[in-house]
Amino acid sequence: MKCKILLVGVAALALAFSTNAQGLMGKLKQKAEQAAEKALEKKAKEKAGVPENEQSSTGDGNSNPGNSGNNSPSNKTGGGLVTAPPDVKENLGEAETAFKANSYGEARYAVQQAMLGVEMEIGNKVLKSLPETVSGLPFDKSADQVTSTGWGWAGLTIQREYQKDDKQLRTMIANNAAWMSAVNMYLSNGGYAQTTGGEQNWKQTKVKGHRAVIEFNESSGYKLSVPLGQTSLIVWEAVNFATEQEVMTAANAFDIDGIIKTLGEK
Amino acid sequence: MKISFILLAAFGISIGLQAQEFDKNLASARTAYTSGNLEDARFAMQQMLNDIDIIVGREMIKLLPAKMDAMAAVTKNDNVTANTGLAGVIVHRDYGTGDKTALIDIMSNSPLVGSINAILSLPFVGNSGDGTQKVVKVQGYKGMLQKNVNTETNQTDFTLQIPLSSTLLTFTVNNSNEADVLRLANTIPVNQIVKLVQ
Repeated sequence: MKCKILLVGVAALALAFSTNAQGLMGKLKQKAEQAAEKALEKKAKEKAGVPENEQSSTGDGNSNPGNSGNNSPSNKTGGGLVTAPPDVKENLGEAETAFKANSYGEARYAVQQAMLGVEMEIGNKVLKSLPETVSGLPFDKSADQVTSTGWGWAGLTIQREYQKDDKQLRTMIANNAAWMSAVNMYLSNGGYAQTTGGEQNWKQTKVKGHRAVIEFNESSGYKLSVPLGQTSLIVWEAVNFATEQEVMTAANAFDIDGIIKTLGEK
Repeated sequence: MKISFILLAAFGISIGLQAQEFDKNLASARTAYTSGNLEDARFAMQQMLNDIDIIVGREMIKLLPAKMDAMAAVTKNDNVTANTGLAGVIVHRDYGTGDKTALIDIMSNSPLVGSINAILSLPFVGNSGDGTQKVVKVQGYKGMLQKNVNTETNQTDFTLQIPLSSTLLTFTVNNSNEADVLRLANTIPVNQIVKLVQ
């Protein structure tokens, strides 16, 4: 039983890494449907003796306007979706009504929506507290993002990017227990490995007194991770920063204790 | 019979207490949210989810059959687990203690439901060529039946997984045959379980 729960947990944690917003389940369903359609088409072609690279007469789901005989219009308008977070008080009211009516599925859904609303408010509060300029790099308002997958505790992420020319600092704050266990694995090591004649690509460090892990990769740059309390984490990805010290200076511009307090961590 | 009655009564009392917990956590959530204490509001809501999950789990256990053929439910192993963080509630019941055993696991908000539904929609994939996997129907609901033959003991074990909206029902029977497995599966009140989680 415990193994089953662990396996399911691992599978679920793999899904929880996505920072997609409320459309996560919809996108998963869409992907599964697309995979199902492609597999079905392949099998049908095999049975009919049609070579795989030959286009089928019905065309595929994502039609190309250039295809002859395809009269489907391409979309040119639409106002997008309403992105206001769920109303917390309203959803708590709905949860109470559904619970009293023994409609537990509806009650659960309403509570999850209320939690989503609260998480979005927490996320926006944290986002507002982040600096607008770090090491001379201004923040990109269009890249600001608060995401909650609504799966209970896992999945609140807050993102902000700072950029000037080709120098970029991406900041992500996550309430995600899976990432925590990966970072804590580094931090719980008494020492760290050192390669003779090679390059150290990660090491333990501290940011404003908080234990952290810093990594370096030539193709992606620096990555600095700081666990915040029990279930949160802040990660900076620094692209085209000249030295480790520059990254540490940038990280020190953030009020880590303030973020911990806002997230309710200790 | 007496023991079943006592167990049912115990479940009834505990559901009532859990409902009180839900009301208490709802009041805490409202107070915390109104005073701007978002983190406490979130925590209280998480507790509300746990309360709902436990009540749903206990209602589900009450619905499950008390026996399957000669296999009686091992009620001391009955388990309702909430607060898994990712899935909703996990309900577990064992049947039988000898050579022939069975178990039912029900997981609400299971992350596996999507992938199983995808397999069920592909008859070429859902039904394997070697007969170890096939798509079946139980009370109108499609399910994936997997067969596993133990080469040492020559026993055949079956696992039936039925996705019900976002809930996954898994029914495992050891040392059996397909006809018996499907017959026993049809004693599980699937429609009532669906109503509970909708």
